[in-house]
Amino acid sequence: MIINSILSFEFPPINELLRWKDVVPGLNKVGLIAVAAALIGTLIFLSAARKDPKVAPKGTRNLAEVSVEFIENNIIMQTMGRDGLGWTPFLLTLFLFVYLCNMPGIIPFIQMPATARMAIPMFLALLVWVIFNVQGIKHQGFFGYFKSVLFPPGVPKALYILVTPIEFISTLIVRPFSLAVRLFANMLAGHLLLVIFALLSEALFQARDKILIPIGVLPFFMLVFLTGFEVLVAFLQAYIFTILAAVYIAGAVHPEH
Amino acid sequence: MLTAFVNINSFSQVRVSFDAVSAETGSEEGAPVSAGPNPIAPEIKELAWGAGSFIVFLFFMRLFLVPKVRKGMASRYESIQADHEYASATRDGAKQDVARYESAVAEIRSEASRRLETARQTLDKERQEKVAQVNAQIASRRAAAEAEVAAARAAAQSQIVTAVGAVTTRATQIAVGVSPDAAIVSRSVQQAMEGNRS
Repeated sequence: MIINSILSFEFPPINELLRWKDVVPGLNKVGLIAVAAALIGTLIFLSAARKDPKVAPKGTRNLAEVSVEFIENNIIMQTMGRDGLGWTPFLLTLFLFVYLCNMPGIIPFIQMPATARMAIPMFLALLVWVIFNVQGIKHQGFFGYFKSVLFPPGVPKALYILVTPIEFISTLIVRPFSLAVRLFANMLAGHLLLVIFALLSEALFQARDKILIPIGVLPFFMLVFLTGFEVLVAFLQAYIFTILAAVYIAGAVHPEH
Repeated sequence: MLTAFVNINSFSQVRVSFDAVSAETGSEEGAPVSAGPNPIAPEIKELAWGAGSFIVFLFFMRLFLVPKVRKGMASRYESIQADHEYASATRDGAKQDVARYESAVAEIRSEASRRLETARQTLDKERQEKVAQVNAQIASRRAAAEAEVAAARAAAQSQIVTAVGAVTTRATQIAVGVSPDAAIVSRSVQQAMEGNRS
């Protein structure tokens, strides 16, 4: 009977979970999180930049330096090499912005990652798409870039009939789409999982039938576990988004890589 | 049937029941709500705020914040590098000082050892000289003692010869009634004593 009861648990439509009232006209919770993310990132680096760099770094200065070194050593040097160090500000900003937009998904009373809506991932993916195409054209010339993209060297000429359309679609169309959807879908899925287990826990704990109350421990345990897991996902998705952006830019600037 | 009534924005209307009731969603006031946003389609206001925030963030990071933090890191690394080089130079200098000190110590030890050997040889020489001197004195005293012993023996022997000669003369006189020649008796006693000694 209990199983049948749980199976008939009715869940609200997804679009209801994503409805946020405007805080002020034209600014909802997602926009507010994006503004807060930019503001927090700026304040951290502003505080870091104002501290004496000659003493051993701590606090915000330490955080800023660790993030700079993380981007340089674990993303740029791995994908672009030393020539790519000029991209540190952009990739660092991208990483911090995505991460700070992801993290509110597990912060109590906010509990909504701004990247679980399509707008921000889509904008960032399009920005990366524009940047790597512009960089490719800038470094290889218009025809050189599209030749390297559409006609990859080392492929038998007869195969270009198949390879060229595939490369065109994968590089110029699918890349921004996959970049945006990967981030958006992961964060939305995580958000929905947390909502599902939170609602299920609350519903069971408040059930009128006392036999259901102890069962609420199970979804509550999953809620705690998934909250911890979302901390990892928030970091991982920001890292994946940033490293793919670096790979795309490096591939456009140095096609031989 | 278990039914949960959920209003996400208020979380106030969650309840579970076995009763067969139909689910209904509503606003906080209970009025029907319109369908929410499309879960996939981007909203213009979210796009505008997200893009604007990112661009402003990127502007500050690109032009001011990251270069300043990076510059501070570079200057500290250079300072650390300079300190490291200074420490290496100091360590090398200290190593040279230690080498010089060890060399001086070895030299002093060698000199001390040399002087010790010289002193030992001098002492040995003096000891040998003293021993030789003492041995000479002992030999001299032994020779004097032996001379005294020889003189005493000779004197004793002379007394014995005289005594034995007197006894022999007297005994012969008693036995035969004639006194023997004293020179012959003395010579005979002398020969007998020398014969016994040999």
